Amino acid sequence: MLAKELRSELRSRVALNAVGLFALTTLVAVAYQIGPYRIHEDDRPHLLAALLWIILFFAALSGLARVFVKEEDAHTAKTLRLAARPLAVFGGKLMFNLLLLLALELCIVPLYLALMGYSVIGVAGLLAVLLAGSLALATTTTLVAAIISRASGSGTLFAVLTVPIALPLLVVLIQGTRAAAGSAEFSEVLPALRAIISLAGVQLVASLYLFPVVWHD
Amino acid sequence: MGGVRIDFDRIVKRFGSRTVLSNVSGSVRPGGVVVVTGPNGSGKSTLLNILAGALRPSAGTVRYLDGGNEIERTRWFERLGVAAPDMAVYEELSALENLRFFARVRGVDAADDRLSALLERLGLLARDQRRLVGTYSSGMKQRVKLAQAVIHEPPVLLLDEPSSNLDQAGHEATADLVARFRERGAVAVATNDPREVAWGDAQIQLSL
Repeated sequence: MLAKELRSELRSRVALNAVGLFALTTLVAVAYQIGPYRIHEDDRPHLLAALLWIILFFAALSGLARVFVKEEDAHTAKTLRLAARPLAVFGGKLMFNLLLLLALELCIVPLYLALMGYSVIGVAGLLAVLLAGSLALATTTTLVAAIISRASGSGTLFAVLTVPIALPLLVVLIQGTRAAAGSAEFSEVLPALRAIISLAGVQLVASLYLFPVVWHD
Repeated sequence: MGGVRIDFDRIVKRFGSRTVLSNVSGSVRPGGVVVVTGPNGSGKSTLLNILAGALRPSAGTVRYLDGGNEIERTRWFERLGVAAPDMAVYEELSALENLRFFARVRGVDAADDRLSALLERLGLLARDQRRLVGTYSSGMKQRVKLAQAVIHEPPVLLLDEPSSNLDQAGHEATADLVARFRERGAVAVATNDPREVAWGDAQIQLSL
């Protein structure tokens, strides 16, 4: 399933272009308008962490729903539904969204750090937050994408459903990033990391139970 | 004769206030071909979708029986091969890649030789099998759709207008496929094409 997703995406590049272009455009706009010097020193830890996740989150919203919406648009959803086990479909789509998010972060985070003059002391902490956050975000978006894919106006519905579900996650991701930026001690990141992993776990378990119902009905 | 049999009883399907199917009953048995006919809008595709488990009936029951044991709905798809106009294969993959993918998700042997032979039997030449499906004519796409439906040798085959978009050679290849499956499984075909109606041992005539 994952191999099929990757092959399809490398040939069509629809999600890659949507997510990448959105993230790059937002990053350039933020860097141009705010840059490293227009934020007061006291506000920098909070604002820079928040801006980073706003860019990543909304870039994710612009492309991650594609995994299921494209199946409905191309009329392959029914073929897939009648051929594959639901959990194989969910696993493949989730892994694809996770890889897409990690690739996005690999490109955007270093650029963001450089353009915004954002110095991160706890690199290991930041990497852990990014990894766990990506898993949680990919899980949420993949399930919501499956729910909205058969609806008309699925793009709007995707954002409307994802934002409230992902809001608590976004808050702890920002807290974790702020903690990692301010301290080399991994223990500083741990409270946020625990919360992120817990949210990811809850969403993953809920998704595994919900997806077969969503997929078939 | 053993194999999987579908029994359906008093199937009703409503879309809003419109009733598409009203108390349709019957069975699809191993060793036979049931042909579902009727004018456009009479519910032929809807009935096949309900039999495939892709749609829930508003009332009535569908049961899959394997040697007298009922198969639960979530496992119907393992016994089924379906090809219909509202189903597509992946246009950004080649015919062989599509079949390789569907074989793997169904957990069957995915040797290229076997997949290629199946496509050739359905009239898709070897030289075309590695081209992206997006570059195919509608008849060639239909051949790939039929191939994905039978790749796992299912005991139940549901075909909705199987010869649509196919030339005479394609129609004959589909007729051979249906004849082969009739020997070992249950087949249902929704159609109004007189050539396909002739494949049937039993007929369900739907009306508006």
